[in-house]
Amino acid sequence: MLIDIRDLYKIYNEGKESEVRALDGVSLQIEKGEFVAIVGQSGSGKSTMMNVLGCLDIPTYGEYHLDGTDIGSLSDKQLARIRNREIGFIFQGYNLIQELDALENVTLPLIYRGVSVFDREDMAMEALAKVGMDGRAHHRPSEMSGGQQQRVAIARAIATSPPIIMADEPTGALDSKTGKHVLEILRELYRGGTTILLITHDDGIAATARRVVRLSDGKIISDKEQEVDWE
Amino acid sequence: MNLLQAFKMAFKSIAMKKTRSFLTMLGIIIGVASVVIMVSVMQGQAKKNMEYFEKMGDNKITLRAYSWSDSGEDTSQQIFDYCLTLGDLVLGVTPDAEVNEKVKVVYGAKTLSVNDWDYDGGIMMGGAVSVSTDWEKMLHIKLGSDQYGVCGNYTLAGGREMSYLEVDKAIPVCVLGSGAKEQLFGFTDPLGETITLNGDPFLVVGWYNSMEIKYWPEMDNIIVIPHTFNRTMNRNSSINSYIVKAKDGPSTIEATTKLDAFLKGIFPKDADGNFINGEYNVGSDNSYAENAEKANLMQSLVTGAIAGISLLVGGIGIMNIMLVTVTERTREIGIRKAIGAERASIIAQFLIEAAVICSIGGLIGIGIGYVGTMIAGKLMSDVFEGMILMPEPFIAVGAFLFSVVLGVIFGMYPAIKASGLQPVEALRAD
Repeated sequence: MLIDIRDLYKIYNEGKESEVRALDGVSLQIEKGEFVAIVGQSGSGKSTMMNVLGCLDIPTYGEYHLDGTDIGSLSDKQLARIRNREIGFIFQGYNLIQELDALENVTLPLIYRGVSVFDREDMAMEALAKVGMDGRAHHRPSEMSGGQQQRVAIARAIATSPPIIMADEPTGALDSKTGKHVLEILRELYRGGTTILLITHDDGIAATARRVVRLSDGKIISDKEQEVDWE
Repeated sequence: MNLLQAFKMAFKSIAMKKTRSFLTMLGIIIGVASVVIMVSVMQGQAKKNMEYFEKMGDNKITLRAYSWSDSGEDTSQQIFDYCLTLGDLVLGVTPDAEVNEKVKVVYGAKTLSVNDWDYDGGIMMGGAVSVSTDWEKMLHIKLGSDQYGVCGNYTLAGGREMSYLEVDKAIPVCVLGSGAKEQLFGFTDPLGETITLNGDPFLVVGWYNSMEIKYWPEMDNIIVIPHTFNRTMNRNSSINSYIVKAKDGPSTIEATTKLDAFLKGIFPKDADGNFINGEYNVGSDNSYAENAEKANLMQSLVTGAIAGISLLVGGIGIMNIMLVTVTERTREIGIRKAIGAERASIIAQFLIEAAVICSIGGLIGIGIGYVGTMIAGKLMSDVFEGMILMPEPFIAVGAFLFSVVLGVIFGMYPAIKASGLQPVEALRAD
């Protein structure tokens, strides 16, 4: 079991009148190598779910084991290590650092990982090549289109070859053609054995995934496997 | 992530955010430069004030005594004799008197007049000189002992001091100050020449180097003759002032105390504390110098306060710019955390960034401060001649360190705050 969450709660303003239960007792198990879409309307708790699963946020209650490790018991430093080595993030807003060019952005996680100066540029270029952005290595985010920026962000996510990729509305800011391209890259990673978690509100995009977990009001309302035509 | 990487990242970040980096630096530059300039100007002025006392020499006791009962001559002689008994404490003793009568000083075809009272225009000019009414050239005829040079802190440029015998026996010799020598002899050697004072010949036996005090040229415009000429040159007045040059600081205090006790014996007071037969006072220049030093210290403190305020203003500038950019930086920190940066790496990067910005700003500030000080010195030297301003290195270093520390504290604020957040909270900032 790669991801194992049990009875997970994320509650804001607990005990007050404005209490919000973004996650309301969620349990979910994901095996290595799965392609899972977490689907829900805005406010359903799907982004909170990804933040918690990605160790970007801590749950209010509940247990989370990642590859057998109890995440709740880890220090800040150990969490940073997990985010760096185990998980690659793709955000809707790309979250590239504007002052750095594509190559530097992709190199950043490798620097934090401690990869030697001799290897990391090659590794970063390789990641850029995988998303077809090696020709734009020295362009800054402001000099690229949204689709190009998202591909750089994907390159950054895969640069450390993490076993899990978490993508939060990766196509949300893109037109359908570039969106398709981004999804194609995710499929490619899946075929290579990477576990993919795709968070989306769009059923059409969720159709890409082998397994669809549907969230509503912080609860899982369905969890189905499905056939996909691209395999 | 290693330290080298943190440095690289910091430099990258500074280079990429030029406007912000410059604005941050500006606060430091202004703060440091103004401190350097202000403190330097104040110190230059203080130094100028102290110069007078330094040139006059330390450990100088001045003594005044006025006898009411007799002509005063005997009392003066008593004092002079007593001073000689102080032995080791004292390096020299000399009357500190001046001829107040009109004197015609002649050398060859050159005639200068001393104390030629001039009531022209209703303004009385004491000590006027006929060749020039320029106060800088006024001559003074000093009545001194063979130790006049030691007591006045003069050094011989040529010849010798008057001898004890010459003074005692009222032999007509004289020693010239550099100003008097120049006015009478120009660049020629005055030794062995004879000048006349009201027709009486005086042999020049020596002359002094210039004291080189800009505002006290009268210290060089002197002709020193034996004090035993007082009666003839100064009519019936007596000598009331003496300079006693003590060996060092403690000797000055001891000699002053002894002289005070001695004079108390000569000039007793009645039950009401009033002098009966005359009055006296004893004091050392050290106390004047101390007072001047105190005044200078006061001034330094005021300067320090002003300087501190300008640094504080610079510091607030730094703080503001850092706080303004906190949101932008918070998001950046969120991104860095999401891709695996540890808190320590982020703090290290921001620490170095702030330190580098502040150091560069501080160095520029010091540079501008030095240039500004030179300009201020140039402007001021037109008004106060000979005023040379040079910043004290420790002021520059102090201002530099202060601004760097300040900048680092405020520069690290966003890093410390944001790096403690959950990544998702930092990412939410926009």
